[in-house]
Amino acid sequence: MVKVKLFATLAQIARKRMVEVEATTASELLEKLSQIYGEEFRKELEGGMIFLVNGINIEHLDGLNTPLKDGDTVSIFPPIGGG
Amino acid sequence: MVEGKAEKPVYIYINGDNVEIRDASHVWGKLVSETEDTLRKEVGVDRARIACIGPAGENLSLIAAVMNDKARAAGRCGVGAVMGSKNLKAVVVVGSKGAPTPADREKFMQVVREKVNKLRNDPVAGGGAPKYGTAVLVNIINENGLYPHRNFQTSVFAHAYDQSGEAMAAKYLVRNKPCFACPIGCARVNKLFYLKEEVEGPEYETVWAFGSDLGINDLHTIILANHLCNELGFDTISAGTTLACAMELFEKGYIKPEELGDEPPLRFGNTEVPIYYLPKMAFRQGFGAKMADGSYRLAESYGHPELSMSAKKLELPAYDPRVAQGLGLQYATCNRGGDHIKGYMISPEILGYPRKFDPQDDSEGKIEMVKEFQETTALVDAMGLCIFTMFGLWIEDYKDLLNAFFGWDLSVEDCLRIGERIWNLERAFNIKAGLTKADDTLPKRLLEEAVPEGPHKGSVCRLEKTLPVYYKLRGWNEDGTIPESKLSELGLEWYK
Repeated sequence: MVKVKLFATLAQIARKRMVEVEATTASELLEKLSQIYGEEFRKELEGGMIFLVNGINIEHLDGLNTPLKDGDTVSIFPPIGGG
Repeated sequence: MVEGKAEKPVYIYINGDNVEIRDASHVWGKLVSETEDTLRKEVGVDRARIACIGPAGENLSLIAAVMNDKARAAGRCGVGAVMGSKNLKAVVVVGSKGAPTPADREKFMQVVREKVNKLRNDPVAGGGAPKYGTAVLVNIINENGLYPHRNFQTSVFAHAYDQSGEAMAAKYLVRNKPCFACPIGCARVNKLFYLKEEVEGPEYETVWAFGSDLGINDLHTIILANHLCNELGFDTISAGTTLACAMELFEKGYIKPEELGDEPPLRFGNTEVPIYYLPKMAFRQGFGAKMADGSYRLAESYGHPELSMSAKKLELPAYDPRVAQGLGLQYATCNRGGDHIKGYMISPEILGYPRKFDPQDDSEGKIEMVKEFQETTALVDAMGLCIFTMFGLWIEDYKDLLNAFFGWDLSVEDCLRIGERIWNLERAFNIKAGLTKADDTLPKRLLEEAVPEGPHKGSVCRLEKTLPVYYKLRGWNEDGTIPESKLSELGLEWYK
């Protein structure tokens, strides 16, 4: 199982900050989450996101093909800024 | 320009073309909100705008801010002490003239509408920022492993969520409070049930400075500490980070418990520390007197300046430069010292705009991005715009705005050149004031002690690699000075 942490609007839509999902790649995980949490969640992801596997952005790994394994922690954010 | 020093406390009242220097002895020693209320009533104009100092500035604290609209701060570098040194409590302004007229009003307003729409439709500027405020950054910075904890001893905080923008919105938020005419509107108004008034803030940096950096997870304490800083007139980053430094000096046994007597022990996680010591620092009382001039002077007085997490003696903000290499270079080269907002590399390195970079990338392309960010920010600052517009706009947009207003025909390169000129002029000023390459550095910890945990465990800030490349890209000498040819190229040969 992969431990998934959701933040900001994604947590609000899912009404959950943490969930465990079985998935072998980043894209499979996103598809499963969208099935579980529905159209609003899918739409929110389409607006852009930041996807970390064990704290590393998949942009600097293998993008949506980044493999996931048992025990990984995934953190997903909508686009955010501040400072 | 305010020159010299008044014999007794005064304030300057500007109403149209009329300028008066008035007695301020009745507000000397008063908190910021009382000062504003009193002076606004005194001049009898509700729309008067006021910049003032609190007790921290009066007592010449080197981390004192100039406060505006009660809760907005010109915070960094101790500018409050400059007003204090002149016995100048406040500047009260009532404007009587309209805004300057654009070269082509219709065209200008059309460009403004286009840029405002761009901001409104931007997922950050029009979405995350107004919804959760700047503290929405807490979780993403922590998950990426660069949320400094316990005076940068590590950079992951297990309880970060409790102080995040999401938690703030759920627990204390009353409403947003946009600055004048702002399409983003990120500022927070919070309420602590026992306080009569609502309070403004805290922003992300403050949440971190009084939260994770002090080992405190309690958002209630953070909101109160922020409010105290606003009322006393402190820079929140420097005030929090100074307390974090004191806590490490205490933890390591350099500050002895006997020295504090009955004052609160400076233990990490002790929520009494900011609430008790901030007023003591502002009035230079008890152990607060030792901390009133920031972390560098404090740590130096105990023979351990390396424990001050600062660059050019200005306290570092809320991101560990051992993880974001571009930000580390920005901290070390920023003309006003350890500062994030003059080249906010967290944007490309963590958040992904205007272009995505791996935080650990230390190649020439990254260093060019640092330079471009510094140039662009200098331009945006000179335009008087908020740098948060940079989440949705970039250099081309600012070019359009300038051209439409002035009827100019500047290119992107011209705009970057304006920023470069500002950056070099500031640098030349620093050099004249005695700063050298040796000042373009970071605390030893960040260059030598590896991050002990998290996704970037084992990493240090590789400044020895990035700094020489940066000098080269800037066209500076290897010793960090600016060649005369570069000054001439920028039209700055007159500055000697």
